[in-house]
Amino acid sequence: MNVAQQIVNGIVLGSGYACIALGWTILLGVARLVNFAHGQLYMLGAFVTWFATSKAGLPYPLAIAAAVAVLSALGLLMQSAMMRLVMTQNLTSLMIVTLGIGYVLQGGSALIFGGNPQTLPGTLSRAKVDLGPLWFTWQDVLVLIVTIALYAAVWLFTQRTRYGSVIRAVAEDPKLAELFGINARIVYLLVFVFECSAVALGAALVAPRSPILTSMGFNEVIMTFVVVVLGGIGSIGGALAAGLGLGLFTAFFGAFVAQAYTTAAAFALLLALLVIRPAGLATK
Amino acid sequence: MNRTTKLAFAMLLGLTAPAMAQDIKVGTIFPLSGGAGPDGQTVTNAVKLMVQQINDKGGLLGRKLTVVSKDDESTPAVGVSRANEMIAEKADVVIEGWNSPVTLAMQPILARAGIMDITAVSKSDLILNGQSNPYAVRINSSNGFDAAVIAKYIVETLKAKKVAFLTQNDVYGNGFQSAVEAEFKNLNFSGEVVMTEKFAFKDTDFRVQLTNLKGANPDAIIVTNASNSSGLPAMVEQYRQADIKSAFVGAVGIMLTTVFKVAGDANNGIVSADIFFPDLPPFTTMPESTAFVAAYKKAYGVDPDKSAALGAAAVQVWAQAVESTKSLDRKTVAEAIRGKTIKGTVFGDAQFLPNGQMQPRYVVFKVVDGKNAKLEALR
Amino acid sequence: MTVIESRSPTPMPLLRAASIGAFIVLGFFLPRLLGGTSVAYSTLTTIAIFAVMCYGVDVVLSYLGEVSLGHTLFWAIGGYAAANLSTKYGLDGWSTALATIALCLAAAAFLGAVTLRTREFVFSLVTYAAAVVAYEIAFNWDAIGGSDGIVGIPPLTLPLVATSFSAATQEDLWPVSFVLLLLTLGLIARFRYSRLGTVALMAQMNPALAASLGVDPRRVRLAVFVISAPITGLAGWLYAYQRAYVGPDMFESYFLVMMLTAVVLVGRRVLIGPLVGTALLVAQQNLFSLGGDWNKIVLGSVLALVLIFWPTGLVGLYRRFSKR
Repeated sequence: MNVAQQIVNGIVLGSGYACIALGWTILLGVARLVNFAHGQLYMLGAFVTWFATSKAGLPYPLAIAAAVAVLSALGLLMQSAMMRLVMTQNLTSLMIVTLGIGYVLQGGSALIFGGNPQTLPGTLSRAKVDLGPLWFTWQDVLVLIVTIALYAAVWLFTQRTRYGSVIRAVAEDPKLAELFGINARIVYLLVFVFECSAVALGAALVAPRSPILTSMGFNEVIMTFVVVVLGGIGSIGGALAAGLGLGLFTAFFGAFVAQAYTTAAAFALLLALLVIRPAGLATK
Repeated sequence: MNRTTKLAFAMLLGLTAPAMAQDIKVGTIFPLSGGAGPDGQTVTNAVKLMVQQINDKGGLLGRKLTVVSKDDESTPAVGVSRANEMIAEKADVVIEGWNSPVTLAMQPILARAGIMDITAVSKSDLILNGQSNPYAVRINSSNGFDAAVIAKYIVETLKAKKVAFLTQNDVYGNGFQSAVEAEFKNLNFSGEVVMTEKFAFKDTDFRVQLTNLKGANPDAIIVTNASNSSGLPAMVEQYRQADIKSAFVGAVGIMLTTVFKVAGDANNGIVSADIFFPDLPPFTTMPESTAFVAAYKKAYGVDPDKSAALGAAAVQVWAQAVESTKSLDRKTVAEAIRGKTIKGTVFGDAQFLPNGQMQPRYVVFKVVDGKNAKLEALR
Repeated sequence: MTVIESRSPTPMPLLRAASIGAFIVLGFFLPRLLGGTSVAYSTLTTIAIFAVMCYGVDVVLSYLGEVSLGHTLFWAIGGYAAANLSTKYGLDGWSTALATIALCLAAAAFLGAVTLRTREFVFSLVTYAAAVVAYEIAFNWDAIGGSDGIVGIPPLTLPLVATSFSAATQEDLWPVSFVLLLLTLGLIARFRYSRLGTVALMAQMNPALAASLGVDPRRVRLAVFVISAPITGLAGWLYAYQRAYVGPDMFESYFLVMMLTAVVLVGRRVLIGPLVGTALLVAQQNLFSLGGDWNKIVLGSVLALVLIFWPTGLVGLYRRFSKR
């Protein structure tokens, strides 16, 4: 059994989970908002990247920028529409609304991009690194580096700058924050736009690993749930650790137990954890 | 649909309904949207083409045929609604089935209404067990025969000693694996199965399993993966990246157009088998087959793949049975197909088992130029 | 906005009883009024079954203010109980229904206990997680059906004391689904004015008041969640007999989105809301279907637009216009 290679596989998988989950972590943890369209936004980010490279002929870095730009604009639109629900902290309705928007995005993308599978021209994802008996791709390295860098930047921003405390103040009580001269609407808008651009970036980086379809997004959002809740909602370091941990868990559970049951096992783990220490995982 | 809405519809459509009542209705229910949408459209297109050809020759029983095509969205519940609509529109035959669960859900609905139901693609063994539809007919090959072909290749041609399985963990994948293992016994296989790795249909990352398989280093890995638009091409690429030396032997019918389109040259060297090819013998020497390939290419600009051939054959088989019995009755037509031979389909002369299963001709092939989907027949 | 009505059900005036009776009679003969075809029967049976399915979610959403993404689990429990027990042990409809209720209560009690202290999105995530785990089990475990599911479910039989009832066709299933729908409506109507219903609403809308009155919100939550489960479960039970096939697709998001949309479309805490919502959705998909992708867009935008612009649903919209 090649344990070292399975560790590499686990880190590769885990950095992908963490990368995709970043936007949700911020949204949920810092601003206490939810977005069930996350998986479809991931899908859309991947397809915009594909369209930019394959149809518009842009180089990969510019295509990433295009995906981030398009999804930011979409995020701005979504959040503006949902602003009343956000300001009244109607989380129940927000969940259902975003679920509905996810459905719209899926149907709309299928109409625009068609039902055929596409591949992102991942030069890096086909560039293999052989390290003795171990192997991974340059794309995997890129995902890992960008993920760690992003988490570090976000951690610094929210914990070490004034803006971080502003966002947290708004999350605590938007009405009260407004009394102190903070424009809560702008803060919510920016956080939501960040979530959308983060998922676009995640999609542009992670999606080249496998063919993309407009019907995808379900798996990605499931793993994001697990990462965010396991990490202790809103904890940035926790989400990174949970993402990597989940990747390793997937690799080793798959290698030694049964790959087909990994999703179920990850969720069972989550349920068990909630029974053992519900307080730690309930709302902060 | 009730009478009032029907009336309203008829008025909306400018009272065209009565004129069409004379036509024989050929219904199709396939996924036309979502991930399997392109596949379903291919089958539907082939059905339309065949119906067009029959109409050009003067129709059937002196009547014209019309196609009513519907989208099951790969969702059984939607398929059931579509089947009910077919009953309301009084379809004379329904050609259906890309996903087995959708077929299984629609079968009892169509059977209760006494509508002739031909399954084109879905592979589940339950479709033909007679519980839901005692007059079932299926064109696509069954797991049992498929397994015999692959097992024979492994044992007699490849003479492999160490074999591993990479199997999709559902009834289709596991059923195929156990059928292959049973065939190994029949063939007195002297080697051994060294490893079985499983994955879920929706998976797109197989590094974990491939790492295990690489460690076991078998002579051949038998791969079952029906996710032709995302899982399988990803698997092929990762298989090459992991630099596994074992022969990649694909289960019957998994190497569809999308796999070549997405994974390209990574497919080179894969050995698999299938039941229809536009450009390989014996199909290149059958006039019915070459005529179909030419007509399809003319109509849609691409070569028809196996899915298209299945849709076309479904129409041909049904039409010949109707022609020979001069009847549209489900029981009469089905009895003219089940256990009988239908001549001159795109698959050549097609023999049907008493349970409604068509017996196909297999061709074992090797991929020589994946990018252009060029294959080489091995026998 | 909704006011908590604490009155007990008033004794029905004769007129009201008569109009309800008329509605019931009209409802029962509706398929015959619509032409009496098997399609009319099957469509209305489907609407009745889906509506009952939605009422389970309605109870949780309306009275707890929580989004349960796990009700497909109870829906599937009903389907799998009916399919397995009738095909393998030849049990009749009463036994499979009892098994459905028992299994749903047990599953809901477990899930409710696990999620007792979770709220809002964590509650939704955990209920969703439970449904995913159950899906994987159902998909992989061949003994209860596996990925291909179970075929050959016999017609529903409900032997009564003197007579024996067997539903072989859609026409025969209609009375059963109609009675199930009426029972559900009756239960929901009673629940609205029951102590539990009012306390649950109070705990949702004014937790401080509820606490000062000595209400244990957790116990209320658990009770409401447990009550909601067999409602959706029995719908799944009947669906198994209607379709004669049960598979892991019962966990699909198709049903989940249907449940949520049907409830929010007309408005929460409106007795016939989920019924009307279901009827509208099924009618759109069957009569005015625009193809799979467009249907998704329609369903999704209805969900989003209603909650963004008219959070009180079609009823709220009507009230707003009628006030002007």
